[in-house]
Amino acid sequence: MAAPCSRMANRPLWQFITNVRRTGLKHTGVRQISLSSACRAATQTRSKTEGVASPWKLYGAVCLQRLPVISQERNPIEDQFAELMHQMELERSLLSDHEQRLLEDSERMTRKQADNYDSDEEEADYGGQETITAQDQEDSWEQKLKHFQPALRDRDVGGTPLGSVERCLGDSLVLLVQQTVGKETIWLLPQAQWEAGETLRQTAERGLNSLPEADFKATFLGNTPCGVYRYKFPKEVQTECCVGAKVFFFKAFLSAGSASQKEPFLWVKKTELQGYLKPPYLEKVDRFILNL
Amino acid sequence: MIDCLSSIPLQASFALHSRVLDQAGLLFRLAFSNERQYRTMPTHGIGKYKHLLPKEAPKKKKERQQMKQIKTATDAEYGTLNVKVSGYDMILVEHYSQYIHNLCNRLGVKVAESYALPTKSTEVMVMPEQGTKMYVDAILKTHERIVQLSQLNATLCPTFMEVLLKNQPEGIQLSVKLHTEADYQARFKARPELEGLMAQMT
Repeated sequence: MAAPCSRMANRPLWQFITNVRRTGLKHTGVRQISLSSACRAATQTRSKTEGVASPWKLYGAVCLQRLPVISQERNPIEDQFAELMHQMELERSLLSDHEQRLLEDSERMTRKQADNYDSDEEEADYGGQETITAQDQEDSWEQKLKHFQPALRDRDVGGTPLGSVERCLGDSLVLLVQQTVGKETIWLLPQAQWEAGETLRQTAERGLNSLPEADFKATFLGNTPCGVYRYKFPKEVQTECCVGAKVFFFKAFLSAGSASQKEPFLWVKKTELQGYLKPPYLEKVDRFILNL
Repeated sequence: MIDCLSSIPLQASFALHSRVLDQAGLLFRLAFSNERQYRTMPTHGIGKYKHLLPKEAPKKKKERQQMKQIKTATDAEYGTLNVKVSGYDMILVEHYSQYIHNLCNRLGVKVAESYALPTKSTEVMVMPEQGTKMYVDAILKTHERIVQLSQLNATLCPTFMEVLLKNQPEGIQLSVKLHTEADYQARFKARPELEGLMAQMT
């Protein structure tokens, strides 16, 4: 426990610049996040501290999340409230430029049609009529709106498989993979064993990159792990030097994913995690996954 | 009879009235001139109150706006960060920036400054299929708000960023950058006459 954590505290921070866009439903169904490290301070490699290796095996795991692409549906209560607020604001609001123009134009039209219309006076006042009135503009805008087809909110109509990234666009999804640990194949967050000479964050990155047929571009937000899970090996496997294992979790966000939908991957919501993870593991993982 | 009876209190009241007026006149005169009442008079120093007020520092002339120190990053904390929120819809932009500010207050992150950059108008010109002349289709206004954080803890940072990203509304761009002096100077308007004079000097 002493070795990796204190090493992380010693490493100077990487100053970073993140630029996140959320402009519309893109084809990949994934928010674009670009990250560039502005300045990387020289990484100090500490000399190995000697002595007793700890009896715990260390793993670095990554909790890769796909952020929601569209906003969530509203409750009926939220709907009603939103309508009420909208109505109130509408009643209290003042006229905008466009609406004022509409009124002026309509008044001018009525004055034109009146019998005692003096066109010279009008011209003098308004300095020549505009060719496009506000009403015409409104009509042309309405025409354009009719041509516009918004994309479907929910592409899930056919029931996309669980492995697809574009599953529930309104929620954030977590990546699960199937790996063999010990003797069993279980679902868990992608992890890799820590090797000497690298930070735990690099271990987590390696774990992500080493996934077969996967091409996920992830953005890690910081050097600090967000959770830890430790377990002891069953008695027969325990030896003197490895009593159990500790898994450190890091959070990352998907910036550009590939659309490979092979079976080993699952993108699940937080509520669906229960069906796939083991209870003690789930308990620790649940603590740091936010359900916003 | 009745007249003289009524006239007596009138006179008395007149006399009293006149004495009061005299004293009022005396004080009035004193208030507006530099005469002081004589020190043996029992009413000497009546109306003095300045000695009872707490001492205030002499009023300085307002100094020119100086830039606040830009903090550098240490091992455990980030330096001065600029969180820029920009978008076309002003309501969403404002509400989101207010949300970020309140979140920082709640989480204990110090907010150095919170300001808005000037609105930029973008004209969307459309060219019809027949003809070459472009005409104006719409005017889009981009609003920008900046929340400047000064001491963001490195352990808090991933959680903070996650909350921000998960609550980002549609159509809003979020960007986190280091604060530089160039950013600070960009807020001021250019002064062409001053620059002209400086160029002439050198």
